[in-house]
Amino acid sequence: MIRTRLSLALLLFTLIGCSPSEQAPGQSQTSQSQPGQAASSPFKLSGDTKHIMQWVLDPAADHIWDSAGSIITAAGTRELAPTTEEGWLSVQYGAAVVAATGNLLMMPGRAVDDKDWQKTSQALVDAGLLAQSAAKAHDADALFDAGSQIYRICKACHSAYIQGEKAEGSP
Amino acid sequence: MSIKPFVTTVGLALSILLPAQPHAHHAFGAEFDAQAPLTLRGSVVRIEWVNPHAWFHIEVINSDGVAELWRIEGGTPNTLLRRGINKRSIAIGTEIIVDGYHAKDRSNSANGRNITLASGEKMFMGSSGTGAPKDGADPGR
Repeated sequence: MIRTRLSLALLLFTLIGCSPSEQAPGQSQTSQSQPGQAASSPFKLSGDTKHIMQWVLDPAADHIWDSAGSIITAAGTRELAPTTEEGWLSVQYGAAVVAATGNLLMMPGRAVDDKDWQKTSQALVDAGLLAQSAAKAHDADALFDAGSQIYRICKACHSAYIQGEKAEGSP
Repeated sequence: MSIKPFVTTVGLALSILLPAQPHAHHAFGAEFDAQAPLTLRGSVVRIEWVNPHAWFHIEVINSDGVAELWRIEGGTPNTLLRRGINKRSIAIGTEIIVDGYHAKDRSNSANGRNITLASGEKMFMGSSGTGAPKDGADPGR
């Protein structure tokens, strides 16, 4: 499972032409490409935005959300944060995929506009990198907060861009 | 042994055995019916303080005296915190009344709108933030 996640993360980083070491957490790079340049772009889209959401972003975001928080019952409180190095590493991979997805959404041919779409996508990159840093530091509270931030970005984007669904859109 | 303690024990056992986070993210309209409001009274047996939505599981005694487990979706933990609800605000075993919307598949699942405690205190569960209909009672409107 972890090997699969690592492969996916590496594939995404290759696709967007960067490596994790080239980008510090909390910073995002601004694409110089324009949405209307798809015809002359060397990028080859491998799926539409819906596919990116369902096959790439959703599983990665779910992994982050499932890895932070608390389950409270009469038997006590169980924290969901990983308890092993392998578990935290797995969350780091998921967070890397979330960050990389922000860049995938900014690719020419996939970006909807040059303004809010790019800002929201950059915010997704930042939130993914925050989650990545939190997982690297084994900081469960920071991971939970980063998960909240990821959802706020998802919701804001759906509200703005999913016509007719407004806040009811799902990633 | 009367039936109520027995079903309560079974309910609590089931709540503990439930998987950690079985609820995939979804939109309100994908799972809940805005035309099917409901009111449930029951005891809290499990709280999932997780993103993107918190979940409250309650044990409801139906008209036949049989315990049913219901899962109630709340808003995001951040939304609930802004409304003054944290993961310790409602203790396990607390009896609450939930106003919300039934699941489209009519399973024991609902989107929560308000929680009312025995004292009469009402808490907004933040359901509008998930796309649930607004009826004018939402805080801040």
